[in-house]
Amino acid sequence: MPKVRIQVTPAAAVTYMECVSDVADAQQANFASITEAHLDDVYRYLLYMTANPSTAEDLTSETFERALARWTRFDARRGNARTWLCQIARSAALDHFRSEERRRRRELNVATREGATAVEIELPDEYGPVLRQALRTLTAADREVIALRIVLELDAQTAARVLGTSPSACTTRLNRALAKLEKKVRPRLVA
Amino acid sequence: MSPDLATALRAETPTAPSGLRERVAIVAATPPRRRRSIAPRRWLLLVAPAAAAASVAVAVIVGLMSSSAPPGQVAQPPTPPGVMEQTPAPKARARLRAPVPVTSVGSKQEFRPATPAPSATRAQNVNATLRLLVDDNNDLSGTTQQALRTTRRLGGYVVAVDYGTPDTSEGAASLRLRIPVSRFQAAVVRFSALGQILAQQTQITDVQQRLDELTRQIRRAKGDKTKIAALRRERIRIGRRAAYATVALDLTTHEPAKEAAPPSRLDRAVSDAARVLTAELAIGAYALIVASPLLILLAAAFVGSRAYRRYADQRLLERA
Repeated sequence: MPKVRIQVTPAAAVTYMECVSDVADAQQANFASITEAHLDDVYRYLLYMTANPSTAEDLTSETFERALARWTRFDARRGNARTWLCQIARSAALDHFRSEERRRRRELNVATREGATAVEIELPDEYGPVLRQALRTLTAADREVIALRIVLELDAQTAARVLGTSPSACTTRLNRALAKLEKKVRPRLVA
Repeated sequence: MSPDLATALRAETPTAPSGLRERVAIVAATPPRRRRSIAPRRWLLLVAPAAAAASVAVAVIVGLMSSSAPPGQVAQPPTPPGVMEQTPAPKARARLRAPVPVTSVGSKQEFRPATPAPSATRAQNVNATLRLLVDDNNDLSGTTQQALRTTRRLGGYVVAVDYGTPDTSEGAASLRLRIPVSRFQAAVVRFSALGQILAQQTQITDVQQRLDELTRQIRRAKGDKTKIAALRRERIRIGRRAAYATVALDLTTHEPAKEAAPPSRLDRAVSDAARVLTAELAIGAYALIVASPLLILLAAAFVGSRAYRRYADQRLLERA
């Protein structure tokens, strides 16, 4: 078998490095553009899930950090960037809830002994009455499905994929959550 | 759902604050870390073809190595001491239908070196087996009669004949003949000329030592008439038996299946490679069968843990 010798000249090596650098730059630019396009969606989703603006901000930042770490594994053929970011955001939120529950459990005994009451989170004044009611009265599970289907306007299939459930279960959960919310805010809307 | 509710929810939901935008912009500006790890699915995509290629390579190498060695020879059973056997080589199985002059018994022309000659000076038990192929039932009948005539002409006698033609196209005859040892070679030559030799075996066992021993015992046993008589009877019996050779002549019209030509090196390589591949597949299937309960348990545990995790997450969100 004839041997083929490939000689790499310094100029060619530089060109190759430039190519690699260009690809990295393109990936970076792509990620930056996706971040800009979907930042509001991720924040809104996390705001609904946590019902806490500052926690939502922290989790949004963490979501994008995680997304950047996994960016090379993102495959647009398997789902769009918004769904992918929502899945990462959900994972971050669940981690947050788990750690919060552990912390709350630890502090529960102390709070019970000292007779402390649960501190209600202060929501910004600019939040509307419907949003306030939704964040205060609904569970995180209800808020999550409302955020995905109503606020982010994802279809049932995509929302179910984020939730890890079936589309019919997702729709059932949404109807139940909306009925609960409507019962609370109907008088205000009528007024 | 009320459309007002949905509209209100969309309208009232705020966008990300500017502080968060700046934080995320900093994150987005950070160059991504290059991960060297390979995802499990990609590992599977790499490992599965690599394992298949390795097993095929092993099979090919084993096939090539074994095909380069000469084909194994069939082990022959050891011949007992004092016994001389001869079985014709495949080449000797040529059709020997050439007419043999019956009248010139014992002539040099008939001498076939392929048949070992019994000793003219020592007593020997000679046994021969000859299997011949004849054309058809008519030929079988004629050949059988010819063999019987030849036996009588050579001074021998027929011990047993088993002749049968169960079918019009097939038949067989089995003759057990006793031929004087001095005419043994001539008999074999003539019988060989009756048909195509399929198999031939000659066995010669020396009994001269036993006869000499009996003679010595008779000389030593002076006066003991009973013992001498017994020893003499034994010597006569052995001597009579050694005087005649036993020839088992089998005639048949059924041609045996021809032996397949020895496979070429390529054929052997392919055959051995296929054998190794089959063995590998069998081992793989066996391992799969043995490991399948464990795999099913692992799969069930995996599915169960995922379902439980989803359930736990849902409960967590409902409490939050």
